Parts: sequence; structure tokens; C-alpha cells
Amino acid sequence: MKNYSLRFKRHINEVFIIKPNDLGMNFLTFWFKRTTFLLKKFPFLYLFPVASMIVLLMYFLLGKYLILLTNWLQYGF
Amino acid sequence: MVSKKKYLIDFLISLILVIKNFFSLIFYPYKTMRKISLEKDFRQIFFIFLLVFCYFKFVYFLKDNPYPAIFTFFVFFINFFLMTGFFYFLAKILKYEIKFVSLIFTFSYSIFPTLIWFFSTSFFYLVLPPPRTTSFLGKLFSIFFITYSLSLLFWKIILFYLSLRFSTKQNFYRIIYMTLIFLLWFTPYSIFLYHFKIFRIPFI
Repeated sequence: MKNYSLRFKRHINEVFIIKPNDLGMNFLTFWFKRTTFLLKKFPFLYLFPVASMIVLLMYFLLGKYLILLTNWLQYGF
Repeated sequence: MVSKKKYLIDFLISLILVIKNFFSLIFYPYKTMRKISLEKDFRQIFFIFLLVFCYFKFVYFLKDNPYPAIFTFFVFFINFFLMTGFFYFLAKILKYEIKFVSLIFTFSYSIFPTLIWFFSTSFFYLVLPPPRTTSFLGKLFSIFFITYSLSLLFWKIILFYLSLRFSTKQNFYRIIYMTLIFLLWFTPYSIFLYHFKIFRIPFI
């Protein structure tokens, strides 16, 4: 019992290691918390579709320059 | 004999913890980074840095006129401590509560996306050597590669933010200000490294 209590206390201390974010405006704080909540667990579920949309947009806007960017990145390691 | 065995077991535990944390950073970045910020086992840092060194050793055989792996690793080491030292002293000047050990641990683990990107780009360099063409397959690969790179970059930004969030315990705005000040000197520094062909893409 004592062991569980100690573990619980340690876990609570770990969770409240920092104060929650406050962006100054309720509207901003609300949307910030909603967005970051989604990114706390397996962020790639949202990051990959967002990245795909950005790249498709880039492809339509930049065309062959996207290929130049790939070349530059491929030599970048 | 017992101490030797204990030392070996401790070493293996640290290695397992590094692997576990790497996977947890993919699935639970927030929770894992919070745990990492409380870490004190320096053997984990050793394993991460060893992995970085292995990468430099591997890439040495791929490049045309490379710098020796030990030199590139040394530059990376300087980069890393310049960055952690900068944030530590900046937080101290601004009178924020900060732990240097926590900063080292969180920043070391935030190298993980960088390592994945550099390892995979070297692999793609071997399998599909550049330059890319404007053919259908060339365009398709470009779209895939940039999407993949951008996803890793977003993940890297998240881990970088969480590193500063848990190490300095500051709010979103202050972290953004600190990062902007960091970029003020880090951008010209990266251009300098690019000019001397040490790192074309900053290895942080």
C-alpha cells in the first residue's frame, strides 16, 4: 500500500513538473491546447498528412524546383 | 567479479532504456520527453553519441572528399555543447529555473529525428543516387522524399520545443523568444559549416 502511495506521489510530481501553457488570450490558449493534445500521442498521424498537403502545394507552385530541392537535400547528408 | 557483472548489467539496462525511449518518442513524445528530463543515467548519452559516431564512420565511405569521422564527430560535439551551453546561460541570465543535466538529456534524445533523416538519406543516396530527373518517377520520389523530410522536421521541432519546455519550465512565448535568439547566431554559424562542407544540413 505504502509502495503504491509512493509511486502515485512520484507520478503526480512528474505530471505537474511544469505549469500549463497560457497564451494570454482564451481563444489562443484553447486552440493551442487542442492542437498540442493531438500531437502528444503518435504525432505522425497528423504530421504526415499536413506535410503531404504542403508538399503537393509546393509541387503545384514550384514545379521542377521541387526536384532541385530534392537533389540538394540528397547531397546534404 | 560481482562489480564487473553489475557494471555489465547496468550497461545493458541503459542500452535497453535508450531503445525503449527512442520508440516511445515516436508514439508518446510528450510523456517520454517529460521522463527523459528527469534522467540521470549518463550511459544513455554515451549510447546516443556512439550511434552518432557510427553514422559519421558509415558516411565517411560514401562521400567523395570527406573529413575524417573523428573530426566530424568532434565538430558535432562542439555544436552540441555550444547549443546546450547557450540555452543554459541564456536561461541563467534571464533568471529562469534550469538544470544543465536535464538540458543535455533532452537535447541528446532530440537528435533522434536528425539521425533517422541522415541515415535514411545516406541509404537513399546508395539506392537511388541523385540527381533526380523531371520524369514521372523522379517527381514521385521527390514528392515522397520531401514529405518524409518535412514530417521528420516537424517531429524534430516538437522534440526541440519539448526539450526546452521541460528543461527550462518556461511557457510557449518565452521558448519561442529563446529559439529566435538562438537562430540569430546559429544561422550564420551553419552557413560557415556549409561553406567548409563540414555539414551541408545542420546536424543538431
